[in-house]
Amino acid sequence: MIKSEFSTPQRQSKTGLLVLFANTVFEFLKAMWILLVVFFLRGKTMDVFWGIGGILLVLLGFGVYSYLKYRTFTFYIDEEQNEFIVQHGILNKTKTVIQLHKIQQVNLKQNIIHRIVNVYQVNIDSAGSEEKEAVINAVSKEVAMALKAKLLDNERVEVVDNSVEVEKEIEDKPFLKIDLISLLKVGITSNYAKSIGLLLTFFFTIYENLNHAGADEFIDGSKVEDFIQSNTEVYSILLATALLFTIIFIINIVRTLAKYYGFKIAKHKGSLIMSYGLIATQSTILKPEKVQIVKITRNFFQKKLKILEIKIKQTINDDSKQDKSTIEIPGCNEIERDEILQLIFNEIPEKGEKLKPNIRKLLFSIFILIVLPLTAYLSIGNWFANSIFEYKSIAIVYTIFVLIGLLFGFKNNSLFINNRHIIMQSGAWDVDNEIIKIEKIQAITTSQLFWHKSLNIGSLTIHTAGGNISFQLGKFDKINQYINLWLYQIEKNESNWN
Amino acid sequence: MENFTNEPIDISALPRYEAVNLNALQPKYWNVILFNIAAIFLIIGIALAVIIYFVEEIHSMAWLFGLVYVLFLGFTFLLSKISFQKRGFAFREHDVIYRSGIIATNTMIIPYNRVQHVALHEGFISRYFDLAKVEIFTAGGDSSDVSIPGIKKEQAEDIKQLLMGKIQKQL
Repeated sequence: MIKSEFSTPQRQSKTGLLVLFANTVFEFLKAMWILLVVFFLRGKTMDVFWGIGGILLVLLGFGVYSYLKYRTFTFYIDEEQNEFIVQHGILNKTKTVIQLHKIQQVNLKQNIIHRIVNVYQVNIDSAGSEEKEAVINAVSKEVAMALKAKLLDNERVEVVDNSVEVEKEIEDKPFLKIDLISLLKVGITSNYAKSIGLLLTFFFTIYENLNHAGADEFIDGSKVEDFIQSNTEVYSILLATALLFTIIFIINIVRTLAKYYGFKIAKHKGSLIMSYGLIATQSTILKPEKVQIVKITRNFFQKKLKILEIKIKQTINDDSKQDKSTIEIPGCNEIERDEILQLIFNEIPEKGEKLKPNIRKLLFSIFILIVLPLTAYLSIGNWFANSIFEYKSIAIVYTIFVLIGLLFGFKNNSLFINNRHIIMQSGAWDVDNEIIKIEKIQAITTSQLFWHKSLNIGSLTIHTAGGNISFQLGKFDKINQYINLWLYQIEKNESNWN
Repeated sequence: MENFTNEPIDISALPRYEAVNLNALQPKYWNVILFNIAAIFLIIGIALAVIIYFVEEIHSMAWLFGLVYVLFLGFTFLLSKISFQKRGFAFREHDVIYRSGIIATNTMIIPYNRVQHVALHEGFISRYFDLAKVEIFTAGGDSSDVSIPGIKKEQAEDIKQLLMGKIQKQL
């Protein structure tokens, strides 16, 4: 075997030192920024003087720390053992050993600092029960490309061997490009809940930090109260809602743009290559044979705007990496969807025979989500605290909303089965279509309550390496018939899954 | 190519997983369950007795605690009995079936060509009764793994060998 340039331990790129330093400083600022702002706003001149001195000292410390980190970080390929080895640690030495054939993905990443000094971060993901992962923070482009090629060379499965070629391909002939308009459409039509969550976390973090810093006077609660008193209640609520929605829209749009700006997909030897991101460019390779579940999501607005989202779930080796194994394609149209499906499944999965859940599923959800809470509300109001009847408009709005949601959810909930695929449709507002290839099934569970036996209804759960799919309260004999068919299809092949 | 046929499949003629006669767990496994219940309730009982002894305000209510304790014990006993009786397993030619559940009947089927590895587990008490647990793992994560308790040690070894053989063959 020819000794490659990686057979001896080597350090990261020298210019990469800057990246290490910037990363450390960034982490520090992220943790401390509120304290620093408060300090500089409230401190006396003398304090600020000392503060600047202190910060300079801290920066110097970080410089030394980064340098030591740089000196102690080495990586190499042990050609005899076929292992990739990363050693790091200033005082506590850590040695990560990854067997080459276990390496699943090698991703090159660049954030804004990487771009300035023109270096790359290399992420190495491995498979197997001993989950391991290595990150090399800053190497030059040539080294990154060579390393990637070298590491993936040993992969058993067909592999993208020439990374430079790949990069060129994705630049030259992307078969799908998501334009700004589509991203804007996605931004205003999806992920409301996620943005509300982000917003809340953001406010709580600031609030808590300000409290910690003893800056209570910054938060002037009385102004808000004055404002509410000077206007009517309805007006305030309307204004607050409008404000909230505007902020959510803005957050959504910014988030979508930052994450997916310049989304491009190219085909390369049967794999899909994606690259996207405004501040940090990500590139990912997707192998069709690793795909477990393809989820197509679309809500009412998105249907009108002719866009949809695709989520592709790959094999999960470890729950903590669930996010990484899911690939999202935001805002493509129907033609592009079909092209992607064609590439993954070699055909466009048709919706075959349709199974619907029993009406009891709807009745049961209504009972749990409407009847029970309403009964509790009415009885508490009646016997304990009459005052809660003042909020009855909330109760009415809740009932109407939940009822409509449940009705639509029930209407959409169905299982489609054709010869090679299972498609599960669900959701009230965002309608999901999850597509599974029958050969990707790992195990099947059925569940039946004993009083459902005579009614012939029961539930089905399909386990794959990318997650589960459940269909509840369907016709049980029909489900069982299909299970027997699927088992036959899976078991007649001697071949293992993958 | 000459061996290749593509006749339509007669779905009604396929082997039916739901019609398979399942093997019950070893009767001795009931002893293991009883032992576990006894151990847990002994600990709870001692803790309860200590609390009642030291907190004088609740001395008068000791009978209530006793009643709840006994009811709870009876309830646990009953549920465990039902659960024990309802559990069953079968190893078919191409897959393993495991049934469990108290109110709902859950049946799980794992084809052998999806099994990643098999383990044998012997608990402290189980070992005394010469029982073992067969654990079967797939790539589908926790929810699609199965563990079948209350199998005779030798039988469990045989099952493990059988499954290992099947896995090896496929690789």
